[in-house]
Amino acid sequence: MANIELDTLRKEFGTGGQTVVAVENVDLDIHDGEFLVLVGPSGCGKTTTLRCIAGLEDVTSGTITFGSRDVTDLRARDRDVAMVFQNYALYPHMDVRDNLGFGLKLSTKLTTDEIHRRVEDAAAMLGIEELLGDKPKELSGGQQQRVALGRAIVREPEVFLMDEPLSNLDAKLRAEMRTELQELQHELGVTTVYVTHDQTEAMAMGDRIAVMNDGVLQQVGAPETVYRSPTNEFVANFIGSPSINLFTAEVEGSTLVGPRDFAYDLEDTAPVAGYDRVRVGIRPEDMQMVSEGGTTATVTVAEHMGNENFLYLELDGHEMTARIDSAIRPQAGETVQFTFDEDALYLFDPDTGDALKTKTDDVDTDVATMATE
Amino acid sequence: MATQDSTRPANSLRDSVRFWRQSLSSVLPSASDSTVGYLFLLPAIALFAVFLAFPIVYTLYLSFFRFQGVGGETLFWIDTGFFSYRLVSIANLQFVGLSNYAAMFTDSLFHQALFNTVFILLVQVPLMVGIALLFAVALDASFVKFRGVFRTVLALPVSANLVAYSTVFLLMMQDSGLVNYVLTGIGLDPIPWLTSEFWSRMTIVGAVTWRWTGYNMIILLAGLQNVPQQLYEAAEIDGANRIEKFRYVTVPQLRPVLLFVFVTSTIGTFKLFSEPVIINGGGAPLESTITIVQYIYQTAFIDFRLGYASALTYVLIGVVSLLSAAQLRLGGEGDA
Repeated sequence: MANIELDTLRKEFGTGGQTVVAVENVDLDIHDGEFLVLVGPSGCGKTTTLRCIAGLEDVTSGTITFGSRDVTDLRARDRDVAMVFQNYALYPHMDVRDNLGFGLKLSTKLTTDEIHRRVEDAAAMLGIEELLGDKPKELSGGQQQRVALGRAIVREPEVFLMDEPLSNLDAKLRAEMRTELQELQHELGVTTVYVTHDQTEAMAMGDRIAVMNDGVLQQVGAPETVYRSPTNEFVANFIGSPSINLFTAEVEGSTLVGPRDFAYDLEDTAPVAGYDRVRVGIRPEDMQMVSEGGTTATVTVAEHMGNENFLYLELDGHEMTARIDSAIRPQAGETVQFTFDEDALYLFDPDTGDALKTKTDDVDTDVATMATE
Repeated sequence: MATQDSTRPANSLRDSVRFWRQSLSSVLPSASDSTVGYLFLLPAIALFAVFLAFPIVYTLYLSFFRFQGVGGETLFWIDTGFFSYRLVSIANLQFVGLSNYAAMFTDSLFHQALFNTVFILLVQVPLMVGIALLFAVALDASFVKFRGVFRTVLALPVSANLVAYSTVFLLMMQDSGLVNYVLTGIGLDPIPWLTSEFWSRMTIVGAVTWRWTGYNMIILLAGLQNVPQQLYEAAEIDGANRIEKFRYVTVPQLRPVLLFVFVTSTIGTFKLFSEPVIINGGGAPLESTITIVQYIYQTAFIDFRLGYASALTYVLIGVVSLLSAAQLRLGGEGDA
């Protein structure tokens, strides 16, 4: 087991004289035994970062350290990592037993019996013992997924790397595997880097999540921290489902003036000092419906989920979402009024996107310090 | 009025077509859809029957006879006064049963031809496939520049005219030819490329390899480029080095393509004809270079023993079929 340290990791791809920076000077310390999720939109550099850690890409500059071992210039096969690929990359001509045992056969001096024993242990752990004689093409997607996972487990590596391993499964199976994968990782305690574009998956699985955008690491922290105290507008917008409501408001004294009749009196004006415009963010669950004194909005769609309702509101061309109690049931076309607590308000710099104020209610201070790492 | 004039010829054409169609369908047995379909196939079937099916069957027939000269005997005739037709026999044949086949057991030149062909097969096919695979892997490597140029240059020999390229080989391999000139130039003894039994066979091996390596390389290269990159990455992570990746990923993934190359090359070698004929004509000893097809040609069209040549042809077909079946069986099991 080992911690992983990325120090000013940079990866450029040259395409005919043109250089594209895929990963820009990423500093990241992944703790020993931690489940870290790299999350971000397509093309944000998360997979490239993972492949650099794996040794499948050469880094342009910077270093990668496993424990005390500098692995920057080591080949993948010398790094003692196991990887689960998005398309599983099972060897089509080998049966499950050989797929699982291949790494052990090549990289260890174990006897055939010992390899068999470890393959069977791993298969038992994943419940695929009866598939050992099958070829990959005879397996369902979920079964192939397990075999790919087994291939990683059986090696007992220092590091697990997973590149969107659940994205080819259907929704139900994905949710099942999500839990199973977490249990497995906690049981084995192997440092794991997991790449996904699905923020729900990231929130659900990660001990910590690292949000990337345009090759730049935006924030690292516990899911809760990233959700409550995003460092900038991008993170606030990317994390959370449904997404945070964002719009621009003018600062007039202690009042924020926004679209339609939005006007909000701030008790604490320190965050907006020196700004005449800010970006305002309100999480859908913080929107409260009131009978008077709030901001007026028109309901465009009302989704009744049973335990709660999603209201899609229109505010002078701005789409907003509110997540409200199922007892409140406005119809489409109706006009409603909403408000929110100042504690729940997010404010961002309109030019840089940096957070000026985030949720202040019951944020664990311990976690808050972790977020700034 | 003008419009009516212009439509009249079209109408009369349509009427006559309809008339012919009606009279045709009254003559033909009720033409169902499938009958019409077969009518469309008729040209292809007729050509196939005349130029392929008939010769194949007739060769088998011939193999049980001794050819005694061109035929001419009337088999069937019809004379209606203004139309007459006479069907004459193709050949004057004597039935000999299986004796053509039996004769092969004691025919030493046939044994020699079979040996030569198998020798060339065993040396040439693995050599060629090996080199082709080497080139294909080299061209598949990401760092190679001008890939298209190399690919074209390597594949070009296959478009060379058979007689022309064989003649060039013959000239290069002369005792005082270019190859020996180079060999003596670097201090080696000249090699009797055309006069020695062993080396004259090797000359053929060299010529055929030169011509077909590029062609097979293209096929193998196409196969290589279909191997998913992720399998190499998975193998890299599993700890495979370059050779292990080749052995455990490339070769199994390439198996169907390799099989195709082996089977077609084997069939090609058994059909070897022009190269040995030219090189043989250039002075190589006949016994050491004669191939089965060359021997069949000689038996049929020089000695005019058509029956025996037909029997030889069927034995050749049998051998090639057996070999191909064996290769498919060996190489086709499992899947890639």
